[in-house]
Amino acid sequence: MVRAPVMIRLALRNLRRQARRSLLTAAAMIVGGALLIFSVSLGDGTHEDWIEAGVRMGTGHIALQAPEFLATRRIEDRLPAEARAAAEAALTRPGIAEHVVAVVPRLATGGLASSAAGARPAQVVGVDPVAESGFSILDDKLVEGRYLESDDRLAAYIGTGLAEGLELGVGSRLVLTAQDAGGDIAGQFVRVVGIFRTGIPEVDQALVHIPLGTAAAWLGSGADVTTIAVLLDRSRSVSRVQRTLQRGLAGPIGAGELTVLGWRKAMPQLDAAVKVDDLGQYMFQGVMFGIIALAIVNTILMSVLYRHREFGVLQALGFTPRQTGGLILAEGVILTALSGLLGIGLGLFVTWFFFRDGLDISFTWQEDWSFSGVVLEPVIVPMFRAARVLQGIVFVLMVGTLASLYPAYRATRIDIAEAMKFER
Amino acid sequence: MRGSADPSRAAVHTREVWKVFEQEPKDVQAVRAVSLAVERGEFVALAGPSGSGKTTLLNLMGGLTRPTRGHVWVAGHDLVGMSNRELARMRLEHVGFVFQAYNLLPVLTAYENAELPLLMSGVEEGERGRRIGELFERTGLAGLEDRRPGKLSGGQQQRVAVIRAVASRPDLVLADEPTANLDSVTSDALLDIMEELNRELHTTFVFATHDPRVMERARRLIHLVDGVVASDERRGPEPDR
Ligand SMILES: Nc1ncnc2c1ncn2[C@@H]1O[C@H](COP(=O)(O)OP(=O)(O)OP(=O)(O)O)[C@@H](O)[C@H]1O
Ligand SMILES: [Mg+2]
Repeated sequence: MVRAPVMIRLALRNLRRQARRSLLTAAAMIVGGALLIFSVSLGDGTHEDWIEAGVRMGTGHIALQAPEFLATRRIEDRLPAEARAAAEAALTRPGIAEHVVAVVPRLATGGLASSAAGARPAQVVGVDPVAESGFSILDDKLVEGRYLESDDRLAAYIGTGLAEGLELGVGSRLVLTAQDAGGDIAGQFVRVVGIFRTGIPEVDQALVHIPLGTAAAWLGSGADVTTIAVLLDRSRSVSRVQRTLQRGLAGPIGAGELTVLGWRKAMPQLDAAVKVDDLGQYMFQGVMFGIIALAIVNTILMSVLYRHREFGVLQALGFTPRQTGGLILAEGVILTALSGLLGIGLGLFVTWFFFRDGLDISFTWQEDWSFSGVVLEPVIVPMFRAARVLQGIVFVLMVGTLASLYPAYRATRIDIAEAMKFER
Repeated sequence: MRGSADPSRAAVHTREVWKVFEQEPKDVQAVRAVSLAVERGEFVALAGPSGSGKTTLLNLMGGLTRPTRGHVWVAGHDLVGMSNRELARMRLEHVGFVFQAYNLLPVLTAYENAELPLLMSGVEEGERGRRIGELFERTGLAGLEDRRPGKLSGGQQQRVAVIRAVASRPDLVLADEPTANLDSVTSDALLDIMEELNRELHTTFVFATHDPRVMERARRLIHLVDGVVASDERRGPEPDR
């Protein structure tokens, strides 16, 4: 606009003159902006919790395994010892190591667990007890006995479901049967040292942790593992670490021995849950800002109708229709942008100041809440992300501009002669 | 600019101009085949009973309304065929308006109101200050520059409107009943000012009016009846060119 300073000065003065109207619009935008940031921060925090809990239950933020293993879950599709060594070395390199919180080797296979009371399918995982207890949350779900320890040999940590099905208690014996590395069926006797309960039936009925050494000896797999699970500092580090690892492990990857799997691929249900929840969030924001936008359209439109004569005067003076509309647009954009930004600032402040340590929503829950194999904590800790704040700013500016467009258009269409009629 | 060339050098010139408002049960022919030329420097009153088409004719002359038929030229530019944008540009450059009341933007001071067209047409600050300062002096408004319209009397407001209309040195000032809301003393003062501006700056004025004082002072009096020019008489000396 050629006469921008004039227009802006006029717009600011008009906003001040219509203080009540301006305050109403501003209030809507402030509340909207604040709610936007508040719910986005809490939403992101919730998702981070889901992801954290999910990856701890599963194969970490990043899993290094043979390309076929994700689909087959068979011991044939395991990482050879050299690939495992290369992967473990890569995880200690600068650029990656800073983000790595824990690394655990696992040897997993499907098999059968049996006792005198019967047999049940089982998901047996050979683990390093010390590393695993710092990674998995399974050891925290103990209901009886203890988790595996470093000098355990023929020990098993099983779920309540399996314990009931096979009538096992701490100290009971059971036999695990599975195909070994050579393709033969092999059995292994172990003794229950602890029983856990996650609340997720599939896990409680099938998952069995045994020491990695015991599993390797039983299955004849030497130093091979099926998965190296990696826990990172936060979910946002995943793509960067993943890229760096892919570059560092180009050799084994090229040879088809290894793949670097992000949690989204490894846990598609969790990924989908986060996306669906985000979508719900966006829809809620969309509806909320839709209502805010309508209120703003209405307020500005009222002001356009009310100031009909003024626009007639402006156009008689030589304002083009576009400049007249531009004035309304400037008023709307200035007001909504300032109040929207203020709202976002306020939202950040309130969220940070009052809820930094988490919002306890346990009062809304009847009992444990599990979701796609993830048991959730009842405290949501908000997560602040610059990208989200930027998104929020862009969104708020867009809503304000869009809401001002229609009234501005209407202002371009007034009939000057009609507007200038003198009412006696 | 499009359209045909003005056959005269008039400030405003209409030829066979019509304005018909489509309306039930019967269309209103507000202006019918009016052909008029107002030369530069004239001081003209358009008189006539209520509903005779004075306002409509004035609006046609200023490009606020488009004619149903015929042509209007302002300073040689044919308004027929101009876009709304071009009409706005034309008004900014060539026409000043004074209306009956509520002419001023309430959010701007007297000075800022007067300055607005100059700002819009890009006149630089020093020049704006000179012109408007001089006009405030001349019209007895010096000292009231920073008042908002709400804090000015009706007569003072109209004087600001006149300053705003003439400050950009337009070819034509159109004033629709500028004195209708003023008492007689204030009206006379306003007319004095407009006469003086006409005499000294050769600003062309066309008034639509019921006010006998305006008609008396006009050097040309045009009577409209039912949208038609019923009489057109020149009095006093011809305008300076
Ligand atoms: N927008 C419109 N729609 C329909 N008819 C209109 C419109 N504007 C004016 N008219 C009619 O056109 C005729 C001329 O109106 P105009 O306002 O030009 O008269 P006027 O001479 O200025 O009257 P007054 O002295 O009361 O101001 C009137 O009959 C009026 O009702
Ligand atoms: Mg009239």
